[in-house]
Amino acid sequence: MKRLFRCVALSVTLLLAGFPATAQTPPNVLIVGQIAEPKSLDPHAVTATNDFRILVNLYDGLVRFKDGTLEVEPALAESWEISEDGKTYTFNLRQGVTFHDGSQFNAEAVKFNFDRMLREDHPFHDTGPFPLAFNFSTVEAVDVVDDYTVVFKLSEPFAPFLSNLAYPTGLIVSPTAVEQHGKDFGRNPSGTGPFRFAEWQSNQLVAAERNDAYWDGTPTLEAVVFRPIADANTRVAEMMAGGIDVMVEVPPDNLAAFRGDPNLQVHEQAGPHVWFAILNTSEGPFADKRVRQAANLAVNKEVLVDNVLQGTATVAAGPIPPAFNWVESEVEPYPYDPERAKQLLTEAGEANPKVTFYVTEGGSGMLNPVTMGTAIQADLQAVGFDVAIESYEWNTFLGKVNEGLKGKADMAEMAWMTNDPDTVPYLTLRTEASPDNGGFNSGYYSNPEVDDLLAKARTTTDQAERGKLYAKVQEIVHEDAPWLFVANWVQNAVTTANVQNFKLQPSFLLQLKDVTK
Amino acid sequence: MTAYILKRLISLVPVLFGLSIIVFLVMAMIPGDPATAILGSYATSENVARINRDLGLDKPLIEQYFIWISNVLQGDLGRSFALNRPVIDEVLERFQATLILAGVSLVFCSIIGLLAGVVSAVRQFGWVDRTVTFAVLAGISMPSFWLGLILILLLAVKWQLLPASGMYAIYGGGGLRDLLLHLILPAATLSVVAAGIIARLTRAAMLEVLRQDYIRTARAKGLAERRVIWRHAFRAALVSVIPVIGIQAGFVLGGAVYIETVFQWPGVGAMLVKAISTRDILLVQGGVLVVAASYVLFNLAADVLQTMLDARIRT
Amino acid sequence: MSDSLLAAAAPTAAPGRISSWSLLLGNRLAAIGFCLLVVLALTALLAPLLPLPDPNATAPAERLQPVLSEGHLLGTDQLGRDMLSRLVWGSRVSMAVGFAATIVAALIGSVIGLVAGYAGGRTDNLVMRGVDMLMAFPYILLALAIVAVLGPGLMNALYAIAVVNIPFFARNVRGVTLALARAEFVDAARLSGKGHLSILATEVLPNVLPVIVITMSTTAGWMILETAGLSFLGLGAQPPQADLGSMLGEGRAQLFTAPHVSIVPGVMIFLIVISLNLLGDGVRDVLDPRLRSGALMRPGPRTEVARNRNRPENRAPDAILNVEGLETGFSHNGQYAPAVKDVSLHLRAGECLGLIGESGSGKSVTALSVMGLVNSPPGLIRNGAIYLNGEDVLAMPEAKLISCRGSRVAYIFQDPLTTLHPMHPIGRQIEEAIAAHQRLDRKHLRERSIALLERVGIPEAAERARHYPHQLSGGQRQRVGIAMALANDPDVIVADEPTTALDVTVQAQILDLLRELQEERGVALLFITHDFGVVSEICDRVAVMKDGRVVETGETKELLSNPQHDYTKRLIACVPEIGQGREFLSRVAPLFRPESRS
Repeated sequence: MKRLFRCVALSVTLLLAGFPATAQTPPNVLIVGQIAEPKSLDPHAVTATNDFRILVNLYDGLVRFKDGTLEVEPALAESWEISEDGKTYTFNLRQGVTFHDGSQFNAEAVKFNFDRMLREDHPFHDTGPFPLAFNFSTVEAVDVVDDYTVVFKLSEPFAPFLSNLAYPTGLIVSPTAVEQHGKDFGRNPSGTGPFRFAEWQSNQLVAAERNDAYWDGTPTLEAVVFRPIADANTRVAEMMAGGIDVMVEVPPDNLAAFRGDPNLQVHEQAGPHVWFAILNTSEGPFADKRVRQAANLAVNKEVLVDNVLQGTATVAAGPIPPAFNWVESEVEPYPYDPERAKQLLTEAGEANPKVTFYVTEGGSGMLNPVTMGTAIQADLQAVGFDVAIESYEWNTFLGKVNEGLKGKADMAEMAWMTNDPDTVPYLTLRTEASPDNGGFNSGYYSNPEVDDLLAKARTTTDQAERGKLYAKVQEIVHEDAPWLFVANWVQNAVTTANVQNFKLQPSFLLQLKDVTK
Repeated sequence: MTAYILKRLISLVPVLFGLSIIVFLVMAMIPGDPATAILGSYATSENVARINRDLGLDKPLIEQYFIWISNVLQGDLGRSFALNRPVIDEVLERFQATLILAGVSLVFCSIIGLLAGVVSAVRQFGWVDRTVTFAVLAGISMPSFWLGLILILLLAVKWQLLPASGMYAIYGGGGLRDLLLHLILPAATLSVVAAGIIARLTRAAMLEVLRQDYIRTARAKGLAERRVIWRHAFRAALVSVIPVIGIQAGFVLGGAVYIETVFQWPGVGAMLVKAISTRDILLVQGGVLVVAASYVLFNLAADVLQTMLDARIRT
Repeated sequence: MSDSLLAAAAPTAAPGRISSWSLLLGNRLAAIGFCLLVVLALTALLAPLLPLPDPNATAPAERLQPVLSEGHLLGTDQLGRDMLSRLVWGSRVSMAVGFAATIVAALIGSVIGLVAGYAGGRTDNLVMRGVDMLMAFPYILLALAIVAVLGPGLMNALYAIAVVNIPFFARNVRGVTLALARAEFVDAARLSGKGHLSILATEVLPNVLPVIVITMSTTAGWMILETAGLSFLGLGAQPPQADLGSMLGEGRAQLFTAPHVSIVPGVMIFLIVISLNLLGDGVRDVLDPRLRSGALMRPGPRTEVARNRNRPENRAPDAILNVEGLETGFSHNGQYAPAVKDVSLHLRAGECLGLIGESGSGKSVTALSVMGLVNSPPGLIRNGAIYLNGEDVLAMPEAKLISCRGSRVAYIFQDPLTTLHPMHPIGRQIEEAIAAHQRLDRKHLRERSIALLERVGIPEAAERARHYPHQLSGGQRQRVGIAMALANDPDVIVADEPTTALDVTVQAQILDLLRELQEERGVALLFITHDFGVVSEICDRVAVMKDGRVVETGETKELLSNPQHDYTKRLIACVPEIGQGREFLSRVAPLFRPESRS
């Protein structure tokens, strides 16, 4: 028995003695700690920001967001013209670009990409589904003029079109690779981006190597590796242990700790994100505008943002995030004024409204939803609301909220990240966008004026003009308070000190081409 | 013996069949659908309907089940909705990781559990017994995810002795040593509970065996106490503990969910949790079938081992 | 392993039967667990009366205050809520859910187990297949799926955990019921016309109850852990209500920055569960009938010897084995009772001494005491000395004693089926006996063991050596036992009723063999039996034992022809003679009238 013990002890000691100085990441290879494994590496098949972070490094679109802005600049298209009526876009494509699989990038390839997504009769349409294809629902036809000229015909003028092209759903995949791999393209991706796909080990890593023939200058990094680490604590632990070089979506409390660490760099960048609670305007207490405003006044958003979120977000004023800086809105967030809130409740004859509050346990862009929900609940209770929380796992939650709150709940947490101020209000605030019509207006907000403004802004190609229209939308919606406006997220990331040229983008995309280590 | 194994293997079929029906029903009852999971925030009813049509989810439940089962009988487990990948590929890749973790944990917990059980039986009511008993019960009393996080905090972050998560080092790894280093923490965490249970049972079995007549015979022969304990008493106690180890195998296989999450181990447990949340019904089916089948096989293996150790059962 | 030499002083006798309760509290760990649980449960129960702040009052500006900060003994959580208050209220919720789930699972599981076990046959088969199926389903996933179907909330988590644990109860209860359903008293109840339901309720259930209680006590802790696990995954209590699992789950985000937020509930879970487990362990020990009788005590390598024993002189220095004034007894629950008292015997080289007496007269205890083979605990040699070639065995160090066993004094036991190791081939068991005292290589060991088997009359010994005890007949097994005793040419063989378990013809063969061997090897034989017929065939001298004392000794012939003690007379009379028939009974009966008893 003793001998056995000795053997065990000895072998353990030997094992420990032989340890490496663990978790040294290899030189010139960037290891990125992601929050989840990507669903697919087919840019047309995914919707999650987490997946987009990988995809923009493997693929290019016709256009892309200019560094540090949400403005569009040329990428695979060198230039483009928009017709007078705003319904025809002609792109002149970059020549001599090849996909990672060696095939040529040309007008046919562009047509293949959009036809695959949009036309049900396309031979490779069954490699979908393509959940964000509706971003291009106004595209009637994609025509090849010559090898390097392609024309998009829209059914109506659609202002966000270029911005949508710059979004990952507009990234161009290799038709040859799609033809070769069919449904498995998502695991065998091929694009034109600065990094070429190398390996995907299930739930362990996605690796991409430098594309030496990249048209926009060769990246310095030899490779990037994306590691999915689902548990936030484990991700933080890996960052502290040196197992990863970059960590995105740092939990707020850890970010504060990382700020003081000289070996680490904290990066922050506001983006077009809005965190809110949908209020059910069709029935119950929130049918009354005063009660909705009371709720907005009752919640101390400053405290939420500064304490619960540790400054990783700012207070939201309305549905249009300030990251769209060309929307010049004067609207200020609702102040924290519990007295006024109580007064409004009394005026509405609802001193103690009973409300059911749907809270989710996680989900993209939801920022500590349970803690936030609990804090909101406490603030609302303080002015007289009687709030019952029902919490659901994300997909159940989405299922419940998307079909409308009628008959079930009075408020529900929600968050959106977008690339254009059109998307969120268009999908969630129009009368036409009610759940019965397949929209996301789960609170049944309806204001004909807003409907008109949104329709107009959508078809206006002049950005300054659009800016004014959205400012008006912001103002009206703020006043009507169909939501409890809470926060705009400031996305963050932490890198080790030797990672250089790392920059977060307002688009929430993660461009790693110029990063060095 | 062969007939017995065959019989047990055949009895696996109805169990798996029944399980597949349960899984189908349960998954059908869970609110939300795979389309919402695929589409995320953009799940418009129109989109959902289209995807359901693409995936064949608009058909009646019974029809869906029959399509699935007939495909399974032809060796096709279908395609995962969420991963857009053949279920079999994903399940096998994940199951391999689970087997490694479960196998090593099983060895870990068996050795530690048996050793602790024997020691505390031999030193019954002594301080060694009390210490072991307390340690074992303490191990059983700790939430495993919690223990895992603490271990990461200490061994990986503070002392930087072991990698915090994953299965292999990202670069320059891949060897057996690398795998072992990554295995230590999750396997140790996973073993704690199972080792505790095995230790308690071993102790009881040893106490029972030690008062058997044949132990007295062994002593009367003048055998050294160590030999009496290990070759005679332990050998006999092992026979009654082995089935329990088989059941623990099931726990280690399917119960590793928390540990796989905390240590980012690419195993089948975490995959199933994710698959349930994305309503990825075929992946859940595939995963549950593999886990259940291996559970039954582990138990079968335990029974066979037991039979081999005990001549009385054999004949 | 020499601690048994440091034998305890004579145990003090405590009068009266020991209640389960004091037995439970006597187990120190269980007592600790019980006290801890009472304190925790009381605190949780009294939560509304304790001067605690509102557990749900948030104060985000004062979030994550450390432990022992002003006004917050255990600090505050991520929303500035008082941790102590949440801890107490949370324990209340968690314990309630854990216990409720245990009761639900026990109830449903037991009913399933009872019905399946009682009905047997196809019902049993069907139900148990279902249970198997549930068990093959990874349990966390099952719980997850159930919660996903029912929606979140504590009650649903409770149901999920209960369902997941039903199989354990069903299996345990079914196993016991299955045995009970075929028990005589159940048959009797059935014949008396009782309905199935009333049999289940009045006959079976009371006997199954301990199993249910044991399973409950051992799973309650597990259930609380699982509740915590589900809450940890966000499937438990709805905010703002505190339960330990969700506190841990929510606090996990601050593990690196404010560890107390998750450590505090973590420690609380640990305390609750370990107190339950300690208590459960104790409850099992108390309710398990074998443990209760003290039978599940680990016997040490040698019988304990009282340090203050009186150690008589060796009055027969020429004897090879001399037992002087032996007193061996057993202590149960601290009460000591002697089994043999003041026994003195001696055995000369080559002599055969019969030790005779009825069951319970103490002859086996005497025989086992010789080489310290009485199980201890509970056995204790209180007084006396045992001289082997003039050396006191009881004073030998353990290693020496062990080296004497088998080589100088060997044993042959009564029932060879239970005394041979069932999992080793017989040849191996003999080889082992040889190897314990002689350095020989494998081949020689084998040859020796086969030769021994041949000597004791086992045909095809080489082939038989590979067989297991259960493959041999009773007589053959006893021959193996004898071969094992002969393996090292001992000076003394103690044969403890070697023929009792055998039928008459085999008995005679074995006796012949023993006599033959004794003559051939000149070995002294201490022959224990209750049968004077056997004694007369083989023994030179006889000692008669009754109630733990030697009542008469003498030459066999003399004693047989002229027994002095009443008891001896009765024993002799009990030897039946062929053709005696009914007369036998009438002859024996008067000897056993109550008044003739001493």
